Amino acid sequence: MAPVRTLPVLTLKELSKKEDLFTHGHRLCSGCGAPIVVKMVLFASDHPVVACSSTGCLEVSSCISQHTAWKIPWIHSAFENAAATVAGVESMYRVLKKKHRINKEIKFVTFCGDGGTYDIGLQSLSGAMERGHDMLYICYDNGAYMNTGIQRSSATPLGADTTTSPVGSVIPGKTQQRKNLTRIMAAHDIPYVAQASISHWLDLMKKVRKALEIKGPKFMNILSPCNRGWRSRTDDAILLSRLAVDTCYWPLYEVENGAIRITFKPKEKKPIVDFLKPQGRFKHLFRPENEWIIKKFQEDVDREWERLQKEALP
Amino acid sequence: MKGNEVIAEAAIQAGCRFYAGYPITPQNEIPEYMSWRMPEAGGVFIQAESELAAINMVYGAAAAGTRAMTSSSSPGISLKTEGISYLAGAELPAVIVNVQRGGPGLGNISGSQADYFQAVKGGGHGDYKLLVYAPFNLQEMWDLTMLAFDKADEYRNPVMILTDGVIGQMIEPLYPTPYVRPELPEKDWILDGCKNREPRMIKSLYMGEGELEMRNLILQRKYEKMREKEVKFVGYHVEDSEVLVVAFGIAARIALSSVRRLRRDGFKVGLFRPVTLFPFPEKELSMLAEENRRFITIEMNAGQMVEDVKLAINGKSKVLFYGRPGGSIFTPEEVQEKIQQSLNYQPHLAKTNLIL
Repeated sequence: MAPVRTLPVLTLKELSKKEDLFTHGHRLCSGCGAPIVVKMVLFASDHPVVACSSTGCLEVSSCISQHTAWKIPWIHSAFENAAATVAGVESMYRVLKKKHRINKEIKFVTFCGDGGTYDIGLQSLSGAMERGHDMLYICYDNGAYMNTGIQRSSATPLGADTTTSPVGSVIPGKTQQRKNLTRIMAAHDIPYVAQASISHWLDLMKKVRKALEIKGPKFMNILSPCNRGWRSRTDDAILLSRLAVDTCYWPLYEVENGAIRITFKPKEKKPIVDFLKPQGRFKHLFRPENEWIIKKFQEDVDREWERLQKEALP
Repeated sequence: MKGNEVIAEAAIQAGCRFYAGYPITPQNEIPEYMSWRMPEAGGVFIQAESELAAINMVYGAAAAGTRAMTSSSSPGISLKTEGISYLAGAELPAVIVNVQRGGPGLGNISGSQADYFQAVKGGGHGDYKLLVYAPFNLQEMWDLTMLAFDKADEYRNPVMILTDGVIGQMIEPLYPTPYVRPELPEKDWILDGCKNREPRMIKSLYMGEGELEMRNLILQRKYEKMREKEVKFVGYHVEDSEVLVVAFGIAARIALSSVRRLRRDGFKVGLFRPVTLFPFPEKELSMLAEENRRFITIEMNAGQMVEDVKLAINGKSKVLFYGRPGGSIFTPEEVQEKIQQSLNYQPHLAKTNLIL
């Protein structure tokens, strides 16, 4: 493996001098997590980036009619194939580089939602990772199909109220727990897999920088609050991201060549209720008859956190 | 109730007990409605992880003998076409709803009629046909959905409801006529466990010498029977018309307003509206073809059904076309103007017989 280049330390002063490559004027809702993810990732990169998105909020809202919010080359094709599309672009780049038609070091990144990653896009993602394309796949996980009107996805947490897992007198929201995609991606034995949160920006950006320095396929799962779907306040995105980390619902860790490292341990692990309470999609869980769901939710989070700590490097 | 919800409820009333879907605008009301209504009716609702999964779940449910349905919008139907071809090949009854939106590619989310070819000429691989219904108001959404389940069972063939984003999102009154189950052949082919009977088989793979050809001929006979028995259309002021507008679905609805206005002003204009797109009412249209009657096809696409109209007319009358592709909707005034233009249309002055 090529030696990893040492990168200059990120400072706010340094970052403030960089150009914003995902501009204002996009049509994403106020308080949306997705553009924050994109901005942080693009700020973190020292190299030119070519990006790809699958169909979703970010794609629709960032290229309305003739306008685009992207100041970098960006490509979209369909819903199920962002990884395949960027794999094609990256392969072409490799050929052109071999022929010395391009001499620049270019990084390939995808920004896809959880519907296009956990569900319909999993096949092409898995294929691209196995073939070993030099790309960083970033999933901004807001836990449902927000673009089409908040339908459940396999990233939707247990008990959440969505339009296709509606809360009624019999069904208490989504009855399945969410898919642990980060673990699935780690099981591909690719060089780098990480989970990050916009509330811990330095951690997120360090992970992006590390990932971009590594040759081969990389995957990052980033929690991206959606106030429309989570039924939360528009100014709560960062707060909810932080609560997700502090309750260990969204642990921050990385898997580098198979070695797990927890990158942030909360000083005091908060109960999951703190994360659920501010979100309207979990409102019904606080009815007496649904107490068991919160209990199960807490147990699932605890078990996952225990397992992670056991498997992680000390 | 929105048009999409009308389809969902009509399906439940008609005994549909399995629905698999996947989010795509502008048909989301169908899975959303089914997500609570289907369990209430004692059926199964599944949100699949992709369109491919949804159509193949329908394949499984249909093979088990359940009335099964899936719905999507144009790009999603493209993904489903492989499964639809398999359904047709294995002769499985199912109802597929296409709430069309503008294309090609991701297109947009406004209503369109650009999937006519895909629905009527096959769409997927192989020589197969779907029975295709094109409702033009919510009453027809209700009635034709119920009929679709019956016809699917009768012919053991997938049936498509070809509607669009406009009717799907529309709200208007309708009579929710109760479902009356007709006499249907017993499903003596379903896979329900072969204890105490001969094993059955459902497949679309035929590798033997000439076997697939035989299979295809059987299918073709079935489609021929549909052509003879299932044609549905509605005519408005057809008899004495000098200009006959041919339109289906939402375009027919808009054209009907224009035709009524023109009639009021004394123009001899009529409307011919195919309700089944396959089988296409070609005999009926061909009987209407005569020298001093001209036809104008109005569609929300770049000209698809007009090809079938021309085939039916077979040169006996002039066939003109007006359409707007890409999810654009015309106004009754606009259509009225085009019909009036077609009245004064001089063939020797125009280069083509298309007005766009």
